[in-house]
Amino acid sequence: MNAVSRSLGFGLLLASAGLAGCAGHQGSDQALQGAVADYQKVKEDTNVLRSAPKDVIRAGELLGRAERLSSYIGSADDVTHYAYLSSRYSAIAREHSKLLLNQEKLARLELERQRLQLALREAKLAGAQQQGQWAEDQVVSLSTQQNERGLVMTLGDMLFDTGRAELKSSANRTVLKVVQFLQFNPRRVVRIEGYTDSTGDGQENLTLSKDRAQAVADVLSDLGIEEERIQVEGYGDQYPVDVNTSERGRAQNRRVEIVFSDDKGRLSAPR
Amino acid sequence: MSFVLRIQPVVAAVLFAALVGCANDPAPTEQLKLTEQAVAQAQAVGATDEEPDLVNAQTKLTQARADMADQSYKAARMHAEQAELDARLAEARVLTQKSEAQVAQVNARLERLRKQLGAGQ
Repeated sequence: MNAVSRSLGFGLLLASAGLAGCAGHQGSDQALQGAVADYQKVKEDTNVLRSAPKDVIRAGELLGRAERLSSYIGSADDVTHYAYLSSRYSAIAREHSKLLLNQEKLARLELERQRLQLALREAKLAGAQQQGQWAEDQVVSLSTQQNERGLVMTLGDMLFDTGRAELKSSANRTVLKVVQFLQFNPRRVVRIEGYTDSTGDGQENLTLSKDRAQAVADVLSDLGIEEERIQVEGYGDQYPVDVNTSERGRAQNRRVEIVFSDDKGRLSAPR
Repeated sequence: MSFVLRIQPVVAAVLFAALVGCANDPAPTEQLKLTEQAVAQAQAVGATDEEPDLVNAQTKLTQARADMADQSYKAARMHAEQAELDARLAEARVLTQKSEAQVAQVNARLERLRKQLGAGQ
């Protein structure tokens, strides 16, 4: 009697172990189904197959392993594990495929950008030639000087409309000169600094000065100068070069300065 | 007395099974190295704690090291294998995000160029 009850107890123990195994089974089934769905999706996507074939193959192998194991009792943990790994490989394959598509897109866009840069340069050159002598006069009023900050070129106020940040087309020749100079001197970098006169709100002046400097930087980059070579600063009404009490003085103070580095790429520190 | 004698073979069998279990799973030293490399690689491309899969990878790697210390080699291997793929996925996600940002940037530049060309004509 004693022996019977004991063997019964042992049997119960085994049964409960089996039940616990069953409970785990449900989770592993779910993981397996998820992995099958993930794998199905990447397998049918020709882009993923093309760009990440190895990851798709690994996902398939691991899924096969999880499926084989699922027919054994007590293997729920292993099934969940391999299903998880398979799902991860499917996700990695999808990411790799997205990356490759983006890289291909970037290459196409880059070609388009080069084409547009060339077209823009030609348009600006044509514009500058049409303006001829008149444009030359405008350029003369720009001064380039060498001081303790390095080589500094000043773009005068007349190159912008009042209160606006866009460069006028009369600046074409100057801008093209700067671009040409930077292309002949590939190690030089520039800092473009915007300044205003002291009329109006200080914060607005700061914004306007920064926007004007940025507009010049944008044109340079549109014409093919790498953005890494261009720094932009806005100083508002600080550092006037003339008095703010006369119209002439204020016009002098409204300016954009292009500070060039030396031929080793060393630029003076910003103010 | 007879109770003790009868229970002993069961205990022995369980112990034997446990030993066999241990013998089947060697210490996953190589896998841990692989996982550590994968985590380092993900961080090198710029994955941070904001990337949930990197956090998963780090948690599971820590767990795997603890399993190693406990000599639970099977658990260590499983945690390390999962952590490796978590890290690889985090790395791939970061690279994809970066390429998306690049596409957006070039598109903005193109937009600006087209606008200027349009304004010039």
